Amino acid sequence: MKASSSRLQALRDAVNHVHFNRFRFWFQLAAFVLFVYGGYLAIDLGSRLPFFTCGYNQEGRAGVCYLLPLQHQLSLPWARLFSYAGIAVLTGLLVFALWFIVLNKGWCGFVCPLGTVQDWLTSLRRRLGIRYSTYSQGQFAQLTKIKYLLLALMILIPLGIGGGLFSHSMSPPFCLICPARMILPMFTGDFSQFTIDFSSKAALVMTALGISITALFLVGSFVKKRFFCFFCPMSALHYLISKPALLKLKKDGSKCTRCGDCYNVCDMEIKEIADDIKNTNIMTDDCTMCLKCVASCPETGALKATFAGIPIFESTEAGFIKRMGKGIHHGK
Amino acid sequence: MENDAKVIPIQSAPYHLSRQAGEAENMLDHIVDDFPDNPQSMAYFYDLFRRVYCHGDEVKHEGMLVGTTCIQAPEELIYAFGATPMRLCNGSYHYDQKGADFMPAKSCSLVKATLGMLNSDNVIPRIGKPDLVVNPTTCDQKKKSSVMIEDMGYAVYDLEFPNVKESEASRVYWQRSVRQFTARLRELTGKKLTRKNLQAAMAKTSRAQAAFRKLHNFRRKSPSLILGKDAFLVTNAYFFDDIERWTDAVEKLNEELAQRDQSGFKAVQSKAPRVLFTGSPPIFPNLKLPLLIEEAGGVVVTDETCSANRMLYDMTAVDEWMVNDMVDSLADKYLKPCTCPIFTRNDDRRRRLLDLVKDFNADGVVYQAFAGCQVYEMEYRSVAEEFNKAGIPMLYIETDYSLDDKGQLSTRIEAFLESLKNRKKHRA
Repeated sequence: MKASSSRLQALRDAVNHVHFNRFRFWFQLAAFVLFVYGGYLAIDLGSRLPFFTCGYNQEGRAGVCYLLPLQHQLSLPWARLFSYAGIAVLTGLLVFALWFIVLNKGWCGFVCPLGTVQDWLTSLRRRLGIRYSTYSQGQFAQLTKIKYLLLALMILIPLGIGGGLFSHSMSPPFCLICPARMILPMFTGDFSQFTIDFSSKAALVMTALGISITALFLVGSFVKKRFFCFFCPMSALHYLISKPALLKLKKDGSKCTRCGDCYNVCDMEIKEIADDIKNTNIMTDDCTMCLKCVASCPETGALKATFAGIPIFESTEAGFIKRMGKGIHHGK
Repeated sequence: MENDAKVIPIQSAPYHLSRQAGEAENMLDHIVDDFPDNPQSMAYFYDLFRRVYCHGDEVKHEGMLVGTTCIQAPEELIYAFGATPMRLCNGSYHYDQKGADFMPAKSCSLVKATLGMLNSDNVIPRIGKPDLVVNPTTCDQKKKSSVMIEDMGYAVYDLEFPNVKESEASRVYWQRSVRQFTARLRELTGKKLTRKNLQAAMAKTSRAQAAFRKLHNFRRKSPSLILGKDAFLVTNAYFFDDIERWTDAVEKLNEELAQRDQSGFKAVQSKAPRVLFTGSPPIFPNLKLPLLIEEAGGVVVTDETCSANRMLYDMTAVDEWMVNDMVDSLADKYLKPCTCPIFTRNDDRRRRLLDLVKDFNADGVVYQAFAGCQVYEMEYRSVAEEFNKAGIPMLYIETDYSLDDKGQLSTRIEAFLESLKNRKKHRA
């Protein structure tokens, strides 16, 4: 009994002392390969996935982002939507929620291919020695609302299409402007999404907007860490149903010195992670659960990721010193 | 001419016979001789203080010398420019009296002593004349010292420090202020700040901090493995000692403490009341209060002061190891976790104190406020209330660098420790 508990402790220590950024890089790469190329191996995990594994990447995808079928379902004629098709919408939502509950927003920080692409752009910038930019607090407070606006539009416009208020060529509205639609198929050599559709005025506007947003995405994520996640309607949707999720980001305020180390490394510039000492559940709507904050916290037990209540990755002093003490062991 | 009297010039006494050396010698003798089981690896520190404070030996440094008057001056940046930081905050009563000319009667001993030291001809510790004195704009008395130090003939740099720390505005302001400081250091040294030299400098400090944290963790053990007077001496040495030599010495001390831990060694009796020390910083030779506590049978297990814990505890995290990000991260470290009483609010200080009491299993708290150190005096009330609520006894002591109140203080401390012992007994 004692031997097994000490072995468990040794395992915990090994996990807590891990070279976190390296681990995350490889994990993300594996997830990227799986979801962008898995289709070639006939892997199909369904079309209710809670992250951007884009359906437009028709050959390589190993599953489809839930936003695509959701918008299609919502743009059904109202007569159908509000009768039997409504059940399909609800079961779809349920399957999506079941997927989501497992990793919570960890899907964003560890699995989402579009998130990974942004992290790659970030490391490209870093390698070029260019510094990242940040928002001021005022800008942050305004911009953080945009994802909810996009989420609302993403639901209302398809409903409008189904009701005959908008043209069908606007469907699915969010996918048409989502940078993943152009960027992810590109990785399988499919550049066909880089087109402007002149067939109707609505299609013209939407596809042109899509191209501009993709351009903005590339520039934006080069200068700003996780630029797009800040506006992502999927992230907003996640947050709305995050209560029962199994993976949680927890904070013990009594152990926090508010040193701001976590805030300092946060890609999403979430100030609460450092300053909030009351909430134990510290995941905010902008969080991508990349867990960099946990890895950069020097106070043992102040921040931790738990799965179904069991701590799986915890901030420790020793882990911090190992990760952040660059070159302290050559100093002698 | 025959009746010409022979003039014998008055010769100043050698330093080691001076009152000032006597003050240091007296304190050091108490620290070393009054206790039976000093760790062997403390010999390095005893010897260091004896050489520097009692014999007046020179303290050597590399490159330019940058004096700092507060922990907020980022030492990593100074090291990165190939200069050596040296903390000027002084603990000598001799200098306290000399500096009295500069400040109103009721002013902080520490500020007066620092001014007194800078204004004398042969400064102890003998660090030589700083090429630059960095004075972070923290408390009022330090702020106003700036011009006085300049008038003594030093180059002074006012490092602008905000007095609110919660707001993002102050964070941004402070980051800018730190960047300006790097520009001043570049001008001073003629060197460039590069990724490589800053990273090397940060590694030096990180290594020292890691060693400090290890020592800090050993002090959680009950009964204690090491006394507080020794721990204060160790952190005081950080003010002027070569950082790498200091770290080696602390690592050696840690090894010895690990052995003590293994062998079940007790530096104090099992029942010795464990004390958390907070407030105005004890700086050698003014280790009066910690020493009184331990001579009366208590043990200082940890502290919340800027001459020890606050100076070395908080570590820097960097996301992207490039100059800009490193400098900003350093700035954050010097502002955000700081529990200095000069800030508008003191929530973090109170939380930190409660956390330390819990983590270190402290039985009570001794709060030192230097007479005239208004910020600590003003925070007394809120801190006392906090401890009251938590049911933790606290002794508030207003004192200064003079030894006149030693008798009275020792009576108060003995009574306080006695009451802590009784509480412990009742609980058991």
